[in-house]
Amino acid sequence: MTNPVRIQQEDFSQDAEIAALKAVSKRIGGIATFLGCARDFSEGRDVSEIGFEAYGSMALAEMNKLRSEAIARFSLLEARIVHRVTNVRAGDNIVFIAAAAEHRAAAFDACRWIIDELKQRVPIWKKETTPQGESWVTQHP
Amino acid sequence: MIRILFFGPVAERVQMRETQIVFTAGMRLQDVVASLGAQHPQAFDIVSFTAVNQAQVKDMQLPLNDGDEIAFMAKFSGG
Repeated sequence: MTNPVRIQQEDFSQDAEIAALKAVSKRIGGIATFLGCARDFSEGRDVSEIGFEAYGSMALAEMNKLRSEAIARFSLLEARIVHRVTNVRAGDNIVFIAAAAEHRAAAFDACRWIIDELKQRVPIWKKETTPQGESWVTQHP
Repeated sequence: MIRILFFGPVAERVQMRETQIVFTAGMRLQDVVASLGAQHPQAFDIVSFTAVNQAQVKDMQLPLNDGDEIAFMAKFSGG
Protein backbone atom coordinates (compact mmCIF):
# COMPACT_ATOMS: atom_id res chain seq x y z
CA MET A 1 0.00 0.00 0.00
CA THR A 2 1.27 3.48 -0.83
CA ASN A 3 2.18 5.97 1.85
CA PRO A 4 -0.84 8.06 2.89
CA VAL A 5 1.17 11.28 2.54
CA ARG A 6 3.13 11.79 -0.65
CA ILE A 7 4.72 14.37 -2.92
CA GLN A 8 5.16 13.01 -6.41
CA GLN A 9 5.54 14.00 -10.03
CA GLU A 10 3.20 11.43 -11.47
CA ASP A 11 -0.58 11.60 -11.48
CA PHE A 12 -2.57 9.76 -8.82
CA SER A 13 -5.66 7.59 -8.95
CA GLN A 14 -8.53 8.76 -6.75
CA ASP A 15 -9.95 5.23 -6.80
CA ALA A 16 -6.67 3.76 -5.56
CA GLU A 17 -6.39 6.39 -2.82
CA ILE A 18 -9.94 5.77 -1.64
CA ALA A 19 -9.45 1.99 -1.75
CA ALA A 20 -6.33 2.38 0.41
CA LEU A 21 -8.26 4.59 2.78
CA LYS A 22 -11.14 2.12 3.09
CA ALA A 23 -8.74 -0.77 3.70
CA VAL A 24 -7.70 0.80 7.01
CA SER A 25 -11.03 0.41 8.83
CA LYS A 26 -14.48 -1.10 8.45
CA ARG A 27 -15.83 1.53 10.83
CA ILE A 28 -15.64 4.27 8.19
CA GLY A 29 -19.07 5.73 7.52
CA GLY A 30 -18.11 8.73 5.41
CA ILE A 31 -15.22 9.81 3.21
CA ALA A 32 -14.88 13.43 2.03
CA THR A 33 -12.42 14.20 -0.73
CA PHE A 34 -10.94 17.33 -2.28
CA LEU A 35 -9.37 17.26 -5.72
CA GLY A 36 -7.44 20.35 -6.75
CA CYS A 37 -6.89 20.65 -10.48
CA ALA A 38 -5.26 23.09 -12.87
CA ARG A 39 -7.32 25.88 -14.41
CA ASP A 40 -6.72 27.49 -17.79
CA PHE A 41 -7.53 30.98 -16.48
CA SER A 42 -6.27 32.98 -13.49
CA GLU A 43 -6.30 36.65 -12.51
CA GLY A 44 -7.79 37.58 -15.87
CA ARG A 45 -5.16 35.77 -17.92
CA ASP A 46 -5.08 32.55 -19.90
CA VAL A 47 -2.83 29.98 -18.26
CA SER A 48 -1.17 27.41 -20.48
CA GLU A 49 0.91 25.64 -17.83
CA ILE A 50 1.51 25.61 -14.09
CA GLY A 51 4.84 24.54 -12.65
CA PHE A 52 5.25 23.49 -9.04
CA GLU A 53 8.29 23.66 -6.81
CA ALA A 54 8.60 22.39 -3.25
CA TYR A 55 10.99 22.36 -0.33
CA GLY A 56 10.54 18.61 -0.44
CA SER A 57 11.74 17.46 2.97
CA MET A 58 9.95 20.22 4.86
CA ALA A 59 6.80 19.96 2.74
CA LEU A 60 6.53 16.23 3.37
CA ALA A 61 7.14 16.66 7.09
CA GLU A 62 4.51 19.40 7.28
CA MET A 63 1.98 17.31 5.33
CA ASN A 64 2.55 14.36 7.69
CA LYS A 65 2.03 16.72 10.62
CA LEU A 66 -1.16 18.03 9.01
CA ARG A 67 -2.50 14.50 8.61
CA SER A 68 -1.75 13.62 12.24
CA GLU A 69 -3.30 16.86 13.48
CA ALA A 70 -6.42 16.33 11.37
CA ILE A 71 -6.84 12.76 12.62
CA ALA A 72 -6.61 13.93 16.23
CA ARG A 73 -8.65 17.12 15.80
CA PHE A 74 -11.58 15.56 13.92
CA SER A 75 -11.35 12.00 15.29
CA LEU A 76 -10.73 10.67 11.80
CA LEU A 77 -10.18 7.00 11.14
CA GLU A 78 -7.73 7.78 8.35
CA ALA A 79 -6.62 10.58 6.01
CA ARG A 80 -4.53 10.81 2.86
CA ILE A 81 -2.79 13.79 1.27
CA VAL A 82 -1.10 13.59 -2.14
CA HIS A 83 0.42 16.62 -3.91
CA ARG A 84 2.03 16.61 -7.33
CA VAL A 85 5.16 18.68 -7.93
CA THR A 86 5.67 18.88 -11.66
CA ASN A 87 4.41 20.87 -14.65
CA VAL A 88 0.69 20.52 -15.28
CA ARG A 89 -1.81 21.75 -17.85
CA ALA A 90 -5.47 22.68 -17.62
CA GLY A 91 -7.54 19.84 -16.22
CA ASP A 92 -4.59 17.98 -14.74
CA ASN A 93 -4.73 16.83 -11.14
CA ILE A 94 -2.67 18.75 -8.57
CA VAL A 95 -3.66 17.71 -5.07
CA PHE A 96 -5.87 15.05 -3.51
CA ILE A 97 -7.11 14.99 0.05
CA ALA A 98 -9.34 12.36 1.57
CA ALA A 99 -10.66 12.26 5.12
CA ALA A 100 -12.45 9.22 6.52
CA ALA A 101 -14.59 9.32 9.64
CA GLU A 102 -17.45 7.46 11.27
CA HIS A 103 -19.85 10.19 10.14
CA ARG A 104 -19.97 12.74 7.34
CA ALA A 105 -19.66 15.97 9.35
CA ALA A 106 -16.19 15.20 10.64
CA ALA A 107 -15.08 14.01 7.20
CA PHE A 108 -16.27 17.21 5.49
CA ASP A 109 -14.83 19.48 8.18
CA ALA A 110 -11.47 17.72 8.18
CA CYS A 111 -11.15 17.74 4.41
CA ARG A 112 -11.77 21.50 4.27
CA TRP A 113 -9.41 22.10 7.18
CA ILE A 114 -6.59 20.08 5.63
CA ILE A 115 -6.63 21.88 2.28
CA ASP A 116 -6.89 25.30 3.95
CA GLU A 117 -3.99 24.51 6.26
CA LEU A 118 -1.95 22.99 3.44
CA LYS A 119 -2.13 26.24 1.51
CA GLN A 120 -0.91 28.19 4.52
CA ARG A 121 1.70 25.82 5.91
CA VAL A 122 3.23 23.60 3.25
CA PRO A 123 6.23 25.04 1.36
CA ILE A 124 5.08 24.56 -2.21
CA TRP A 125 5.00 27.29 -4.86
CA LYS A 126 3.31 27.49 -8.22
CA LYS A 127 4.34 29.42 -11.31
CA GLU A 128 1.82 30.13 -14.05
CA THR A 129 2.74 30.43 -17.70
CA THR A 130 0.57 32.99 -19.49
CA PRO A 131 0.76 34.83 -22.83
CA GLN A 132 2.31 37.71 -20.86
CA GLY A 133 5.06 35.47 -19.50
CA GLU A 134 5.66 33.47 -16.37
CA SER A 135 4.69 34.60 -12.90
CA TRP A 136 4.81 33.10 -9.43
CA VAL A 137 1.52 32.86 -7.61
CA THR A 138 1.75 34.31 -4.14
CA GLN A 139 -1.88 34.32 -3.07
CA HIS A 140 -3.83 31.39 -1.80
CA PRO A 141 -7.57 32.16 -1.98
CA MET B 1 29.28 25.66 7.22
CA ILE B 2 25.68 26.83 7.12
CA ARG B 3 23.67 25.64 4.12
CA ILE B 4 21.31 28.26 2.69
CA LEU B 5 18.39 27.26 0.46
CA PHE B 6 16.18 29.42 -1.74
CA PHE B 7 12.99 28.31 -3.44
CA GLY B 8 10.51 29.51 -6.04
CA PRO B 9 10.21 33.29 -6.36
CA VAL B 10 12.99 33.93 -3.84
CA ALA B 11 15.39 31.68 -5.75
CA GLU B 12 14.51 33.51 -8.94
CA ARG B 13 15.37 36.88 -7.39
CA VAL B 14 18.58 35.64 -5.75
CA GLN B 15 19.45 33.83 -8.98
CA MET B 16 20.59 30.73 -7.15
CA ARG B 17 19.02 27.87 -5.28
CA GLU B 18 21.69 27.19 -2.74
CA THR B 19 24.75 28.70 -1.15
CA GLN B 20 26.89 28.21 1.93
CA ILE B 21 28.26 30.57 4.52
CA VAL B 22 31.01 29.97 7.02
CA PHE B 23 29.78 29.25 10.52
CA THR B 24 31.27 31.33 13.29
CA ALA B 25 30.76 30.81 17.01
CA GLY B 26 27.87 32.82 18.41
CA MET B 27 26.22 33.26 15.03
CA ARG B 28 22.49 33.96 15.14
CA LEU B 29 19.83 33.74 12.47
CA GLN B 30 19.60 37.53 12.38
CA ASP B 31 23.28 37.71 11.32
CA VAL B 32 22.56 35.57 8.25
CA VAL B 33 19.39 37.51 7.41
CA ALA B 34 21.24 40.83 7.68
CA SER B 35 24.14 39.66 5.55
CA LEU B 36 22.13 38.01 2.77
CA GLY B 37 19.39 40.64 2.95
CA ALA B 38 21.94 43.36 2.23
CA GLN B 39 23.23 41.41 -0.77
CA HIS B 40 19.80 40.53 -2.15
CA PRO B 41 17.30 43.16 -0.94
CA GLN B 42 14.75 42.46 -3.68
CA ALA B 43 14.64 38.79 -2.78
CA PHE B 44 14.31 39.41 0.93
CA ASP B 45 11.43 41.83 0.27
CA ILE B 46 9.27 38.78 -0.47
CA VAL B 47 10.63 36.42 2.19
CA SER B 48 7.68 35.59 4.44
CA PHE B 49 8.93 32.40 6.07
CA THR B 50 12.28 31.26 7.38
CA ALA B 51 13.04 27.68 8.32
CA VAL B 52 16.01 26.25 10.18
CA ASN B 53 16.48 22.52 9.71
CA GLN B 54 13.03 22.20 8.06
CA ALA B 55 11.16 23.91 10.90
CA GLN B 56 9.68 27.39 10.65
CA VAL B 57 11.41 29.94 12.87
CA LYS B 58 10.13 33.36 13.90
CA ASP B 59 12.78 34.23 16.48
CA MET B 60 15.58 35.87 14.52
CA GLN B 61 17.79 35.69 17.63
CA LEU B 62 17.91 31.90 17.30
CA PRO B 63 21.49 30.69 17.83
CA LEU B 64 22.81 28.71 14.89
CA ASN B 65 24.92 25.58 14.87
CA ASP B 66 27.52 24.40 12.42
CA GLY B 67 25.79 22.30 9.75
CA ASP B 68 22.40 23.99 10.05
CA GLU B 69 20.19 24.28 6.97
CA ILE B 70 18.34 27.59 6.54
CA ALA B 71 15.62 28.19 3.97
CA PHE B 72 14.23 31.57 2.96
CA MET B 73 10.76 31.30 1.46
CA ALA B 74 8.05 33.46 -0.08
CA LYS B 75 4.36 32.93 0.74
CA PHE B 76 3.29 29.44 -0.17
CA SER B 77 0.95 28.77 -3.08
CA GLY B 78 0.51 25.03 -3.19
CA GLY B 79 -2.77 23.21 -3.59
